[in-house]
Amino acid sequence: MTGRTISGVHNRALALIDRWVQKYSALVVVLVAAFLVVFIYGMVTAPNFLTVFNFKTIIRDAALVGIMAIGLTFVTLSGNFFLLSMKETAALCIIAFATSMSLGYGFPISFLFTMAIALLAGAMQGLLIGLGGNPIVVTLGAAGLFFGLGSWWSDNLVLSFRRPHGAEWLGTGSLFGLPNITIAFILIAIAAEMTLRYTTFGRQVYLIGANRAAGKATGHENLSMAIKVCIIASVCSAFVAVAFSAQVSSAHVNYFSSEFGSSGDMTIMVIATVMVGGNSIMGGFGSTLRSSLGAIFISTVDNMMVLHGFNSGPRVLAVGLMIVFSIIVFALLRRGSRALE
Amino acid sequence: MSRIKDWLAESHDLAFAILLAMIVYGYFAVTNEFFATHRTTFAIMERFAVLGLVGLALTLCIIAGEIDLSIGSNAALSAVIVVRFTDSLGAETALLIAVGVATLIGVIQGYFIAYLRIRAIVLTVGTLMLLRGVALFVAQEKTVMLTDFTIPDFIATKVLGYFSPASLLVVAMFVVVGLFMTFTRYGREIYAIGGARKEALAAGINLQRPMIIVFAISGFCAGLGGCIIGLRSGTAQALGLQYLLLAGTVAAFIGGVSILGGRGGVVGAAIGTLTVNFLNTGLVFNVTPAFMVQLYLGVLLMIVIMFQTGSRMFDDHQRRRQILSDVDGRRDQLLRRRAAALHSGQGGGGPGAG
Repeated sequence: MTGRTISGVHNRALALIDRWVQKYSALVVVLVAAFLVVFIYGMVTAPNFLTVFNFKTIIRDAALVGIMAIGLTFVTLSGNFFLLSMKETAALCIIAFATSMSLGYGFPISFLFTMAIALLAGAMQGLLIGLGGNPIVVTLGAAGLFFGLGSWWSDNLVLSFRRPHGAEWLGTGSLFGLPNITIAFILIAIAAEMTLRYTTFGRQVYLIGANRAAGKATGHENLSMAIKVCIIASVCSAFVAVAFSAQVSSAHVNYFSSEFGSSGDMTIMVIATVMVGGNSIMGGFGSTLRSSLGAIFISTVDNMMVLHGFNSGPRVLAVGLMIVFSIIVFALLRRGSRALE
Repeated sequence: MSRIKDWLAESHDLAFAILLAMIVYGYFAVTNEFFATHRTTFAIMERFAVLGLVGLALTLCIIAGEIDLSIGSNAALSAVIVVRFTDSLGAETALLIAVGVATLIGVIQGYFIAYLRIRAIVLTVGTLMLLRGVALFVAQEKTVMLTDFTIPDFIATKVLGYFSPASLLVVAMFVVVGLFMTFTRYGREIYAIGGARKEALAAGINLQRPMIIVFAISGFCAGLGGCIIGLRSGTAQALGLQYLLLAGTVAAFIGGVSILGGRGGVVGAAIGTLTVNFLNTGLVFNVTPAFMVQLYLGVLLMIVIMFQTGSRMFDDHQRRRQILSDVDGRRDQLLRRRAAALHSGQGGGGPGAG
């Protein structure tokens, strides 16, 4: 009796796996299974991993990359690939913010000033992309431009402003036991998801991303859309720059290049986050929720590896593997479901 | 004279590139007395050895309608490999291993791009990070260094006036790739999948072969460039060489490739790289900080993009006007013919509705 039940369960499980293998491809199933095994093994064996404190740390680590990734998701969803200038925009903005703060203009004015610069930066890139420039190449050029401007403005020095300043609540303050940056991340994530789901603008993003020709035929040009989404991405970068500057009370153009986090380049981390979340890079499919979860996921894996005592090399390697892995899995899953461009 | 005119009309991109190169060179030659000298020319050729390879690789990728973002990481990885293993295995073996690994990475990338039918940017942004991780792993998060400096000395020896063994090798590489792209079927397939991918696939070109060839060459160039940098300076960092992508892209675009693919060539790549090198070297001569070079390169790239986008919009506009006027002419012709028919038939048939 029991033997038969077990064999029944066994058969059903086999049938389930069989169906999966048929529905997706064998490669996908094997890859996902292998990844799950490694992930669960690491999670169980890492010391102090499953604690509330560690969970809070993970989300706080994910916050800055996550906010940028949410901004970039708009660009990706609208079919404009991604911006290679995320960290350079942030570098320019952090210099603007710190200069303004150190001149004693106070938080609100400095914040608005920084946002205005981000707006300009985003609008410029969006205009060029919307007119038909390739997003990658345009933003590669813009990246060099912004980084150069930031270095030139700050003379390549560290700018700092004194500790009791108006931005401390954002950088180091906390509310209900959660750091304010985490709260900002959650609020931005909710607002972005709401915008995408329930507003006309959000639906237009999906429409233009999914089918640019159809968008054009129904009067939704990519020009205005590109400008809007680039501004959103730049403003998110600027917000991250302000939050980070408020945290450390200083600024330098290189803060987002190498010293930031574990994995080197901030731009690539942000793009990785968008990809690992499973958003379609061709546009039209995905959500900011996926990017937020992607940020938390990468942060989780990173945290786990830190707890296991890995150096930066294997950690960068792991993030790289995650990106390539997610690209291959999502490409195989979507194979044939979309017309090839 | 008319031959020059024909050439200008046929390849105005190349003419523009040559003009730009001459302007940049002339500017620095006039403003700085040390610029137009034999020694500086040698220094420019030394820079050309590395940047030329990257510019060549990116030119090929863009001709094929793709872009290889992982080129800096790939170069950094081979630099780390060659510097790390030169002491233990000897320079030749280390060089072979490093360039072999880089080429293999390129082949794998090309295969996956063609097999998964994804855009190269999607995959290469992933491998950008992956290869950095591998390079960090190989270097054990340190800056690797040579102990024996006979190889750097050999690479920097002067031969034939302006050349070193490294730059001679690169010039030879340009010639070989140029011949390959112009005179072989495989080379023309690369142009075909860039300029008109759907039509090329419909005509029976297998996407995998040109894609693998392009990315293999790209990987080879990145690997060789990384090796030259690593061996010449005797050190290598896993997180270095990030500037190669921007400089190489600027070089490729000045050289006249179109982002839509299918246009451009090896000669353009060489001239574009030289222009960037003139700018770089000249700015260094005028004591400009490194970040300003990046600023100028960024501005240059934006200008070239604006120029291209503008000319494309103008072309589209012209084409649309041409089509509209063709349609108008055809309609006029038909109307006239119908009027004549009605006239000769003495109004026998009913007048057709407009």
